[in-house]
Amino acid sequence: MIQARFGAAGTWLIAGITAACLGAILCLFGLLAAAGLAPFWPSAISELQLHDGRSLLGEIVREDSASAIDPALAIRTSESAHMGSAYQRIRLDQIAARTQPADAILIALTDGRRLFARGDAAQETSLLAEAAAPASVLEVLRPNALGFGQRCAVFVQHLVRFLATAPAASNLVGGVLPALLGTLTLVLLMSLIVMPFGVATAIYLHRRRGFGVRFVRTAINQLAGVPSIVYGVLGLGLFVHGLGAGIDRLFYSERLPVPTFGSGGLLWAALTLALLTLPVVVVSVEEGLARIPASLREGSLALGATHDETLWRLLLPAARPALLTGLILAVARAAGAVAPLMLVGVVKLAPTLPIDGAFPYLHPSRQFMHLGFSIYDAALASPDTIRGVPRAYACAGLLVGVVLLLNLSAILLRNRLRERYRALET
Amino acid sequence: MSANPATYASVLSPDFVRAATRARLRKGRVTTAVVSLCTAIVLLGLLAIPLFLLIGLHPGVPLPAQTWQRFEILLAGTLRAGTCAMLVALPLGIATAMFSAHFCAPRLRAWLKPALEILEAIPTVVLGLIAAVTIAPWLKIHVATVLALIVVVPCVLLAAGMAFGKRVRREGWLPLWLLPSVLAAIAVVVVIGARHSGVMIAPASPWNAALVGLALGMAAVPLVFSVSEDALFLVPRAHTDAAFALGATRWQALTTVLLPAAGSGLVAAALLGFSRCLGETMIVLMASGNTPIAGFDPLAGLRSISADLALGMPEAEPASGAYRSLLLAALLLLVLTLCVSALADAVRERLRRRLHAAAYAA
Repeated sequence: MIQARFGAAGTWLIAGITAACLGAILCLFGLLAAAGLAPFWPSAISELQLHDGRSLLGEIVREDSASAIDPALAIRTSESAHMGSAYQRIRLDQIAARTQPADAILIALTDGRRLFARGDAAQETSLLAEAAAPASVLEVLRPNALGFGQRCAVFVQHLVRFLATAPAASNLVGGVLPALLGTLTLVLLMSLIVMPFGVATAIYLHRRRGFGVRFVRTAINQLAGVPSIVYGVLGLGLFVHGLGAGIDRLFYSERLPVPTFGSGGLLWAALTLALLTLPVVVVSVEEGLARIPASLREGSLALGATHDETLWRLLLPAARPALLTGLILAVARAAGAVAPLMLVGVVKLAPTLPIDGAFPYLHPSRQFMHLGFSIYDAALASPDTIRGVPRAYACAGLLVGVVLLLNLSAILLRNRLRERYRALET
Repeated sequence: MSANPATYASVLSPDFVRAATRARLRKGRVTTAVVSLCTAIVLLGLLAIPLFLLIGLHPGVPLPAQTWQRFEILLAGTLRAGTCAMLVALPLGIATAMFSAHFCAPRLRAWLKPALEILEAIPTVVLGLIAAVTIAPWLKIHVATVLALIVVVPCVLLAAGMAFGKRVRREGWLPLWLLPSVLAAIAVVVVIGARHSGVMIAPASPWNAALVGLALGMAAVPLVFSVSEDALFLVPRAHTDAAFALGATRWQALTTVLLPAAGSGLVAAALLGFSRCLGETMIVLMASGNTPIAGFDPLAGLRSISADLALGMPEAEPASGAYRSLLLAALLLLVLTLCVSALADAVRERLRRRLHAAAYAA
């Protein structure tokens, strides 16, 4: 049966491609987890003895021994002048010996510089006194002498510092708290805008029949496929240059030509994202409303409730899981959208937070930082790529973590929703 | 406790009931009005996108010199990136969909679909980061390895299927059995490639259309998968059952019944994926090098419309010629993606109608 053999071969081919897809997904998450967490692990300090008699103390930041043409490594030694000034490229055949001395000290300063030295406690204090001249000391470590448990403790400490402090040295070191807060505030504001409008549109589509409904539905379906950058163009042109400049002329004319709302800011970014995520909310809520058994609605009407009362007391509460699913999917989509934000107010380093203790607490006209944009910026636009790339991966790991958490909760909610309607139908 | 007779009477009086009902209905009218108003605002916002971009057509400000030549190069770059991405996404997405819809064990399918949904949820900026920073330096010296992978892995799979295929009874779990060996085959080819890294094919730049295609293709796989899986799954069970009853194998049922019936669904999946790739910004921005190069070379850099918008729009002065040309570029991108996705919708609608008719006839 030659045909059966061909059939089996075809089956194996598509099964193998399916396996390759699964493998790619696994590799992707493995890479993100490994590269996203690696920057927080206390790396060892190496000492290289070169054939020409020099010895270098520092962290090995890159090593391509696999390349057959020119095996080499890059080492970061003490940055006594300024950050990023002390990288050296050493060919592997220049190295006589490589050790990891236990008495090596790492001093990290608040301006991002890292200093390396060897010695005991007395030398450490003298070193600290001279090193810290312009900046203050962030931490002192002896990474080579740490045991596994201590390394884990340092790892957790680094992770917490990454999440809870502000960045330093043009966003290359320090934490991502402003970017995280900016992302969360933006998404929160966007949800506050998109939910009422999305739910109202879904109710309209659910209640009515006819030409208007078909038109609205077609518009929403078609505009769900519009590229996100086009929403950004609209946000910049219409919201920032149109609405924002108008508000400035009317209410903030004493501050002109310095723009208040007439430049990119939190409010305009939230509006743009709300427009972007609207189809997600509408589709999800409408589906939830359609899933409610007709007998429930009819029962409510038969008992004398008006359409309005049925909607508020019965349909919307029963569709609550669908509302939540829509919200979460919208939030996940908004948290990952970066391109439109680049046009409407995201910045590399914002001097102020969009949310703080001063009245009115939330500042919708301020520019803000964003995790997704930090990834782009650290990976491709930073002056020090050896620091930038691990930082970009750390931000990417955090962003993917947040988005996955939201998506998983949406999936769990969806399952609960199904359970609920199964209970309703029986 | 005795009820107050006066209140009791007035609650039951026809006037009171009428007034209360009128109030309840009035509240309903308020809700209706609010809902309609909100929908109108939403519609206004949605229609604002094309209407606003049409301002670019207004010939008020002269366009910068050579705008149209520039558009040609940008359009060529966008189409080149989209084509490269589809070369990756179509085989992966459609093959996975065919397996999932027709061969897959239900329990594996319950895992496969969420796995691809989660891939869709990953922000594209992250895929762009991986492509631009991790894959680009490797791909620069290993183009030949990738070509070898494309040839070797399917050949090995076909040969293995020919040899052992008939002995395997439970095809539904085949991907899990094959996963280690596929990964091992890829690893072997990569290691051999690294040993012989005399650069055989040298791309002009590490950031090129092939790299964009790889990352963008991975981003488009979930969409292509879900649309084509839906199309294949929509084919009535009776059709495949009839094929089985006539003695067809699973593979024969797939190629002779399922694929012809769902063919337009697969076309729709390809078109939707293509439309999405044309508009994608972050991956192209990070992995394409953003050099305006025309032509069809998959190993040369490119600049797409979306990346051009992301780079140029923040700097452009409003109401200047450059700004107007960017608006025109955005309009071009919008029209392009809308046309492709409208075509996809039309194809999909046709399929749905035909299959419904078939289901009723059966």
